[in-house]
Amino acid sequence: MPASDPVAAPDGAEPVPDGLEFVLRHLRSRKPEYGDLDPDFDLIENRVLDSLGFVEFLYLLEEHTGQEISIDAVSREDFRTIRRIRERFFR
Amino acid sequence: MTTTEVAERLRGDRRFQDVLGRLVEMSERDYYNPYRLFDWPDSLPDDAYWMTPELMAEHGTDVWDELPEPRRRALSKWQSINFYSLNVHGIRELLHEIVARIHTADFDVPSEYFHHIIGEENEHMWFFAAFCRRYGGKIYPPRSLRLAGPGIAGADHFLVFARLLVFEELVDVFNQRMAGDDRLHPTIRKVNEVHHQDESRHIAFGRQIVAMLHADLRERLGDGELAALEDYLKGYMRGSVASLCEPGAYRDAGIPEPYAVRRRVLASPAHAGYARRVLRRTESFMVNAGIFRTGLPESAKE
Ligand SMILES: [Fe+2]
Ligand SMILES: [Fe+2]
Repeated sequence: MPASDPVAAPDGAEPVPDGLEFVLRHLRSRKPEYGDLDPDFDLIENRVLDSLGFVEFLYLLEEHTGQEISIDAVSREDFRTIRRIRERFFR
Repeated sequence: MTTTEVAERLRGDRRFQDVLGRLVEMSERDYYNPYRLFDWPDSLPDDAYWMTPELMAEHGTDVWDELPEPRRRALSKWQSINFYSLNVHGIRELLHEIVARIHTADFDVPSEYFHHIIGEENEHMWFFAAFCRRYGGKIYPPRSLRLAGPGIAGADHFLVFARLLVFEELVDVFNQRMAGDDRLHPTIRKVNEVHHQDESRHIAFGRQIVAMLHADLRERLGDGELAALEDYLKGYMRGSVASLCEPGAYRDAGIPEPYAVRRRVLASPAHAGYARRVLRRTESFMVNAGIFRTGLPESAKE
């Protein structure tokens, strides 16, 4: 299985899990002007995730991964890109 | 804002210094030992309300109507543990910001009073955490992560003190009401009463400094930037109220689908009215101080 691109799912590649699909849709809806959001697009720098929007995103992530996420146990780098989010929360 | 501009404004304001002098005097006079002040019974009755039901975010919503009475009481316990947990985390941020500013060039004038705030907040954090751990067996984890704000250069001091004021004003609405609610256990009332006493001073200070820092920004920022600050603070206020709907509390109260419940509560018309009520005091201050040009939107939804 190709580990090089954990988000895009070309034929035969790892499919995008349902939960991640929800999370992606939420992120795209926050900044539609950025389109589909490349897996390495910087979500924090580009304010797709900002201080005020973060909590709603966190709850969505919890709901779709089935795990409670304590801020003590993560860092902002875990949310930097879609690739990082997938690696950290959908493995 | 340059260093000298802040320091000069704070130094040049006679009224601010009088207020600070009085607050320091009151803090010294009312100094107490929190470690001996409270009776901590081994347990609190599980079949009673732990929080004033009218102050619960679910009150008046469909979610509330569907809950049998014992479940509402169980929820009040966990929502109160969440409320005190939010206090613990809010105080961490507050201490962090005040410690970063005490005895720096910008803040030499209020530094004497900062010592009292830091001391008192350390004690508040202790009794809130003690309550959570003793009666809930845990503190709910922090949920917010500081990422980008409105991104306006020179507005950092203002935003920090404005956020702290929003937090303290909102908490105080709960403390004041719960301190006088005789449906609640005496230990719960006491915690809220003691906190309210100290916070009335912190809020008096917060209103002064926030108004002054904003007056300074009005001289230097354009309308667009001031509007962006206003929008950000309104969003912060709505987010603070939304943080009172904690999925973990629904789960602990035995309510299924906690995330869906949170969404339902936040989307409910009753909750919009609730948010307006608990934020009214802060909103009035912000409007009267010229920080907000308009009140909160009618629908206080996200
Ligand atoms: Fe406090
Ligand atoms: Fe305080």
